[in-house]
Amino acid sequence: MSSQYEVIIIGAGPSGLAAARSLLEQGIKNVLLLERESEAGGVPRHCRHPTFGIQTFFRPMNGHNWAARILKLVQGKYEIRTSTTVVNIRPGGELEVSSDRGLETLRAKRVIIATGVRETPRHARLISGQRPQGVLTAGALQQFIYLKKLKPGIRPVIVGSELVSFSAIWTLRNAGIKALALIDENSRPVAFKPSALYARLMGVKVHFGSHVTKINGSERVESIEYKDASGQEHLLTCDSIIFTGRFTGEYTLIRKSHLQFQPETGRPLFDQNGRCSDPSYFAVGNMTHPADMGDQCYQEGQRVGRYVARTLSEQDISTFNVPVILDDVFRVSAPNVISCGHRSMEEVTLNVRVDKAHTGEIVVTDGSRELYRKKHRCMPERRILLKHIDVSALTPESTLSVKAV
Amino acid sequence: MTQLNENVDVVVIGGGVVGCAVFRRFTLMGARTLLLEKGGDILSGASKANSAILHTGFDAPTGSLELKCMQDGYEEYMAIHDKMNLPLLKTTAIVVAWNQEQLDALPGIVKQAHANGVTDVIQISEKEVYRREPNLGPGALGGVYVPREYVIDPWSSPLAYVTQAVMHGGRYEFNCQVLNVQPESDGWELTTNKGTVHTRLVINCAGNHADLIDGMWRAPEFEIRPRKGQFLVYDKASASQINAIILPVPTATTKGVLLCKTIFGNMILGPTAEEQQDRNRADVDESMMNDLIDKGSRMLPSLTDYSVTATYAGLRPATEKKEYRIFPYPQEKWITVGGIRSTGLTAALGIARYVENLYREQFPALFALNEPRELQWPCMPMLSEYETRDFACPGNGGIVCHCELVTRRELEAAFDSAVPPECIGGLRRRTRVMMGRCNGFFCSNNVAEIVGDRLDNTIVVGKVE
Repeated sequence: MSSQYEVIIIGAGPSGLAAARSLLEQGIKNVLLLERESEAGGVPRHCRHPTFGIQTFFRPMNGHNWAARILKLVQGKYEIRTSTTVVNIRPGGELEVSSDRGLETLRAKRVIIATGVRETPRHARLISGQRPQGVLTAGALQQFIYLKKLKPGIRPVIVGSELVSFSAIWTLRNAGIKALALIDENSRPVAFKPSALYARLMGVKVHFGSHVTKINGSERVESIEYKDASGQEHLLTCDSIIFTGRFTGEYTLIRKSHLQFQPETGRPLFDQNGRCSDPSYFAVGNMTHPADMGDQCYQEGQRVGRYVARTLSEQDISTFNVPVILDDVFRVSAPNVISCGHRSMEEVTLNVRVDKAHTGEIVVTDGSRELYRKKHRCMPERRILLKHIDVSALTPESTLSVKAV
Repeated sequence: MTQLNENVDVVVIGGGVVGCAVFRRFTLMGARTLLLEKGGDILSGASKANSAILHTGFDAPTGSLELKCMQDGYEEYMAIHDKMNLPLLKTTAIVVAWNQEQLDALPGIVKQAHANGVTDVIQISEKEVYRREPNLGPGALGGVYVPREYVIDPWSSPLAYVTQAVMHGGRYEFNCQVLNVQPESDGWELTTNKGTVHTRLVINCAGNHADLIDGMWRAPEFEIRPRKGQFLVYDKASASQINAIILPVPTATTKGVLLCKTIFGNMILGPTAEEQQDRNRADVDESMMNDLIDKGSRMLPSLTDYSVTATYAGLRPATEKKEYRIFPYPQEKWITVGGIRSTGLTAALGIARYVENLYREQFPALFALNEPRELQWPCMPMLSEYETRDFACPGNGGIVCHCELVTRRELEAAFDSAVPPECIGGLRRRTRVMMGRCNGFFCSNNVAEIVGDRLDNTIVVGKVE
């Protein structure tokens, strides 16, 4: 085994595996996948609900089955090193990795960063109260229940109303546990409206417009307190509290590296092909747009994988970059830079997020001309695609502005 | 549970940093010692939460016992930390003046530092402040530079003191609360929830409960008035934003809010100073934390670019007076070490020496002293972000906690150590596991499995049928 690879992919989840699949189809040899968990497959490994597979295999599949299937497409063809953590990334595709062997330096002509997302946990939300055990996230819950068959609590309260919040109810139910309540600050579910009905059908009390004001318990959670929409305070006896959603990318490696990033988040700067400020590096998947569905990440991974394969044989002929500027309504755009000056770069799609619900037209301009205008109904934490934006006439002086009107 | 039926020379009540250092001191002197801690681990109370600074004492009251203990403690820490593999981060500190009144106070701070023997402290200009700390927000008018103010590991250090004591025959009991004390002809009988202990000397290091313990046999000389301090721990990426510890100019009532690197690679912001009645409960509070963030981001505007990894709060065992409240009772064979408000981590080793001298000078010979010919030194696990950690070494068993890069071998070493953890908090403090930015999202399920029933596993409550 050589420590010089054509491509190294950091993270063997949906987008990393998809990129690997594309590289395989393009005939690229000597590709390595690095996965810090003990098994490849990523988050879907512990998502046992049938929201995967429609776009990739044209039928609904549970996450773990889907993960096994996308893994099988590259397994045995490319080396996958599990229980291996990248601790530093350096210019020109040099990686410092840790495993049972200690530290090693690996090199590749191209590196694809597909490190995924996690939820915002208790402390980053500045929740008041004591700091007992029994405070977790939905992702942690899934791992306890599905991977370890352990119960992190039997009288849990769920905080949040994203899709993952309702998936937590489902996960608990599969372990014979009924959630006591679902509490969310929003006045309506962040996920689709009928989801609240689903919660109620499952016997879970739903409190919208409510804010957790205290966690009580010295060793384990004993109760929580919350304030409801009318300002009334409530005490709820429980043994665990599950914070769900508010996904954030795993930017740790990028933030301490030479790659350019947005200072306020640590998100890398990357173009419509995933390319970062160091052309050896590419960013893909939910890390770049927390958080889309597994299938969507897979398709994006395939697209970036194909492009990376091309860059191994073709000279890069983009000549300048144009930044994507968002107004206050928007939180995230993927990509956040457009590479220009190449004839095949005529159209791009922007994947954007809003902080608060917004219905109205979204307009994209290059400073002088309008390149896109369409009405959207935007909900927080959902992908909003601005498709077919013509970027063929951008100049080095342009900025791509996204505005809600 | 085995019932205690002990007969020892010295019982130290309280396994905070002071208790750990006193326990070590008397064990190394050759006494038969027993440390009793009512929590599930050492550092369960006031010592669990502090700013982890090794203070020079530049701003302590001149001529105070506190200053003496801090400086003796500082000196001993510098002499022994390498022998125990304990890290030191030479950050330095800068007291920054943000208005004219504070600027006017700087010469006084320098003068006091020099009076305290910290003669390398100097006043620096606005330009020098920004040269050293280019990321500070606008408005700094000048500062005081304290070159030997450093950062240490607040958990491994006291654990090292206890570990060394255990290597020399000292014994300890966690989850062991003293319920009653009764004088005997040759010492004391202590009743605990785990049984009875007979001892020749009691040293009360019970922190936030010290007055209550004294109150079991006499009217205490002081009253503990817990003062809560909340801290925010910022993501490791933020640590590059400062170099020195950024201190405010203290006011009459508080030392104020500081920014400081941690030995683990993070940056902390805090503390608050809130009086409260409760001696056990140290809640974090959303509005106070937001207030801290406001203060912090005025000092360091880029702070808001970083996410909060952890929030914590501690209770300082403050009393009516600022000074330490250390009282020897030679006739009664009792020493009370109380009111160690906030400088305990630095001063602990010095306090232990002071208490040793009190005993030697004022007490009848209660037990024989047989100092060991050769001292044994524990090699503590290295948790400093700034030193080589286990994840860089072969045979580490792989990383379990990705945020803090904690290996399987480090977890096993904690269990195999002389003072193994008996609760999840103890495991966290010994290894950093589950202490990172994801708050245990990735590793808590693996940790629950690895821990199994080797300790009180509060991560999980049962198995899925």
